[in-house]
Amino acid sequence: MQNSRNLALWHYWVAFGTFLPAVLLGAWQMLMRSPLPAPLDDPDAYYASVTLHGTAMAYVVTTFFAMGFGYAIAATSLGRPVRGVAAAWIGFFICLIGTVMAVATVLAGKASVLYTFYPPLLASPWYYLGAFLLIGGSMIWVVLMVLNMTAWKHDNPGRPVPLAMFAITATALLWAWAASGVLIELAGILLPRAFGWSDLIDAALGRTLFSVTLHAIVYFWLMPAYIAFYTLVAEAAGGRLYSDTMGRLTFIMFLVFSLPVGMHHLLADPEHGSGFKFLQSFLTFLVALPTLLTVFSISATLEIAGRHRGGRGFLGWIGALPWNEPMVLAVGLSLVMLGLGGFGGLINMSYAMNLMIHNTSWVTAHFHLIFGGTTVIMYFAIAYEMWPRITGKPLRSKRLACWQLWLWFWGMLITTIPWHIAGLMGQPRRIAIFDYSIPLVARTAPLVIISVIGGLVLLVAATLLIIILVRSHLGERVLAQPLRYALAVNPPRQVPAALNGFALWNAILLVTMVVTYGYPIGQFFFLKSHSVPAIEVTSQESAPTGVR
Amino acid sequence: MARDSGPFTLYNPWPRIGWWSTGGLLAVAVILGFIVLGREQQNGPTLGTWTAICRALGITADIGPASEPQPPLRTPSRIAWTSATLAQVAGGSAEHGAFVALNCTACHGEQGVSQAGLYPTLAGMDGSAIYKQLDDFRAGKRSWGAMNAIAQALSAQDAADVGAYFASRSNGLPPFVGERFQAGRTLREDNPAIRLAFAGDPARGIPPCAACHGPGDHKLGAPQLKTQQPAYIERQLAAFAQGFRQNDINEQMRTIAAQLTPDEMHVIAEFYGTGAAVAQVAGR
Repeated sequence: MQNSRNLALWHYWVAFGTFLPAVLLGAWQMLMRSPLPAPLDDPDAYYASVTLHGTAMAYVVTTFFAMGFGYAIAATSLGRPVRGVAAAWIGFFICLIGTVMAVATVLAGKASVLYTFYPPLLASPWYYLGAFLLIGGSMIWVVLMVLNMTAWKHDNPGRPVPLAMFAITATALLWAWAASGVLIELAGILLPRAFGWSDLIDAALGRTLFSVTLHAIVYFWLMPAYIAFYTLVAEAAGGRLYSDTMGRLTFIMFLVFSLPVGMHHLLADPEHGSGFKFLQSFLTFLVALPTLLTVFSISATLEIAGRHRGGRGFLGWIGALPWNEPMVLAVGLSLVMLGLGGFGGLINMSYAMNLMIHNTSWVTAHFHLIFGGTTVIMYFAIAYEMWPRITGKPLRSKRLACWQLWLWFWGMLITTIPWHIAGLMGQPRRIAIFDYSIPLVARTAPLVIISVIGGLVLLVAATLLIIILVRSHLGERVLAQPLRYALAVNPPRQVPAALNGFALWNAILLVTMVVTYGYPIGQFFFLKSHSVPAIEVTSQESAPTGVR
Repeated sequence: MARDSGPFTLYNPWPRIGWWSTGGLLAVAVILGFIVLGREQQNGPTLGTWTAICRALGITADIGPASEPQPPLRTPSRIAWTSATLAQVAGGSAEHGAFVALNCTACHGEQGVSQAGLYPTLAGMDGSAIYKQLDDFRAGKRSWGAMNAIAQALSAQDAADVGAYFASRSNGLPPFVGERFQAGRTLREDNPAIRLAFAGDPARGIPPCAACHGPGDHKLGAPQLKTQQPAYIERQLAAFAQGFRQNDINEQMRTIAAQLTPDEMHVIAEFYGTGAAVAQVAGR
């Protein structure tokens, strides 16, 4: 991976360099909305911070991490130099410029619209332009992943694409499909209004387009974690992958099922009828299939490793696993959080049950547990696995890394479990100030304080992560083992073309998207419009004198 | 093996499995969502199939032409904050406005600084607020004594000009900019005026006054209230509460004022008008 080493490293550093300040913001937000005194106790600062935290975590950290991981996988799994490195660097700088634009605009207080944009709220055009560059720039990565895979297939006819490469290409395609919604929303609705080319803003159409992105983006975040489950865990645990075919099926199902389901984020929105809400809610349950397949497959993989290491009896193999390996520890902790978060998710996507928790803290707690917990802990493990390979310097140290993973795990549980309960008690989300003197609100005060403590633990864990990575980076260079991907129990010699490429699945997905989103989006053009005046959170240019 | 990649060839297993399972799942979901479940209502009769499908599509009776005659639409104002409106307001000529404003002196005071509780101070007021009120008077959306006749004598451009003139006066109401929103823990404030102005009363659905009228924040079309005539503010709140005044575009002032007690109207008016409590807030 000579030519892609710096590429991967720079992407990772941008991701983790953004991560730590974003965690700091998160911890401050926890404090700000609690009954405890907080520095800079100001709602304007709170909403700017929420926007920055969301933008950094949802777009910057994840996109850069996935891109870096993709380049590293393309180089190591295909065993040849990455093609299009120059284009990859151009993409990196476009994304970086977009990030700087978006972050600077939020810091200037001109874009407190939260990362999901929420039209008719309107921010400065620089924020939207920054987001557009960041997301659009990552499309170069998508093209490069597809190109690298097809070029390899062309040079190796009849051979199965390595599972890691197959999976990262699925991730890239998933991201291209997902990003289409937000890119169209930005280019067609938000940017024209922000530049003043139109008076009104079709809020309902904007929200519907964003829903195309909003659920699939979650799986885009999750995919690197699943790639690690399937391709890195078995090797770290000292065993073999239970099934290569199950891995391929999982990634195909994620590609097909995570997209036509986004309207379960709009269950309380009035612009859609009950039919499409039910349809997409129904399809959402199918996402459980690849998840359950993975839990089964990874448990089997770990059992193979445990028994290989001498574990005996019904559960004896669990104790025989090398829990001092960061990758093995992370997968265990990740699956625990996936279990808890996954069941919470079933409630969110159910048309009827959703109403109980809609727009409460339950939802925020849920996605912090499943993204901040399940997914991000695997990002850490991947970084610990990759760092020695990229930098050529050993990890300092594995013990510290395991400590960091435990801290993050407990921090996440301490933060999110009380947060879930507060949501069930009716605490609304996206609120800067709670009046804890009202008896109804006062009941949630102890829970919020526990969450603050969890937030501080998370901050310590995030700091520890950076310390480990920097310490390792500054260490002495030694000869590192090359990265090896898990070998399946039955390594595939030949796989059906349908499991070796994405043409069929893209065609199926296209038809499904037309069925599920054709009418909900099309109706705005021939049946009804929800154009309303925009609510400018900050604008001194387009308003008359004296108007803030 | 290489031949079975075509997504539209159904004679090999993977495309067949893929297409049939997707088609089957979509069919089941559509039948359930559009026909079976769409018919059920919690507290009403079961609907017919056609009605159920329309309901599932989100097509309800209020979309499309109505079959029965509807009551005439009543709009609270003719003004919408489009770019064209904002451009006209922003393009007002203060010089010509000064000439138009000579008509205002008798009631609104020398250079727009009112000396009487009945009349608002216009000096320093946001130009767009003046422009909107003049149009509302002209169109009969708001009624007050001589103002309707005076406004009818003015063109839209005159209104923009006079708005620009008063907005440029520095001897009246303070501008919106330059003061921070007094937020934080004001929900627990003891002084009801400060609490209502900066935190509102969520339990009664009352948003903070300052979120639209300043100090510290502003919504388009809302006049600043600091140092305005207290008797005028109190009278307007009462007029909104009783429905005499109806030119608030989203009915927000009628909704809020109807929730306020006469005592609260009085303390808010005093708070904004005399500015005594403002100093108290600033000193916190």
